[in-house]
Amino acid sequence: MTDQQQTQVTTVAAQSDREIVTERVFDAPREKVFQAFVDPELIPHWWGPRGITTTVDKMDVREGGDWRFTCDGPDGATAFRGTYREISPPERLEQTFEWEGMPGHVLVESATFEDLGGRTKVTTRSLFHTTEERDGMLASGMEGGLSESYERLDELLAAGGTED
Amino acid sequence: MVQYQEQLDRTFAALSDPTRRGILERLGRGQATISELAEPFGISLTGLKKHVQVLEDAGLVRTEKIGRTRWCSLGPHELDEVQRWIVGYRLMLEERLDRLGELLERTKGQES
Repeated sequence: MTDQQQTQVTTVAAQSDREIVTERVFDAPREKVFQAFVDPELIPHWWGPRGITTTVDKMDVREGGDWRFTCDGPDGATAFRGTYREISPPERLEQTFEWEGMPGHVLVESATFEDLGGRTKVTTRSLFHTTEERDGMLASGMEGGLSESYERLDELLAAGGTED
Repeated sequence: MVQYQEQLDRTFAALSDPTRRGILERLGRGQATISELAEPFGISLTGLKKHVQVLEDAGLVRTEKIGRTRWCSLGPHELDEVQRWIVGYRLMLEERLDRLGELLERTKGQES
């Protein structure tokens, strides 16, 4: 009955330099896991760092609906916001995510829920965009090109292991 | 690609600690000595040196001894605001999933 047996550790694979992918198996039925993502009463129990109080300011769970959560901690309060893009219970969710402390840097988060017979595999993908890319993406339904910021990130990461 | 992954892992490991993130923020405003860095965090010089060593190994900080004083400044792999945000986001995401697992564990057997 250890925690390790119940919940597998996240595996993170970088599909691209701007994407974070996690996979985790939860020992709970798919409907229940999905519900934790869309129920405003459950969000404060898990969303946000430990030692922080998360408050749901707004949670309009429908495609095109907005969400905003406030996190209160010892260092002060900060808020996150975004818009739901896909609600497909109990299989998939997608929303934009923006930290108000750094407006203009938007990422698209998705979560897919796979039924493993009483257990559920959740795969999250987070893809980082700039505002320009997001606007272009929303307008065209396609992803934009690399921004200068992320090219610089590529360079930084490519420089790993070399001495300078 | 392996080099890239290793650098990423070192960077994330280095930034997983709030004191180390605080040190980087402080150094973003200019170089500082070890004792200047230790003061606001209320930790010993030895403790602070260990944090600086981790940051130095990750290339995030460089140190230089001038006379009897060791000066610290941001290193060759200095992160800009966007990169720090991405690293912070990833840490937050993982913690979120940890807490979700704990919530599901606590409410096991209950109807959703």
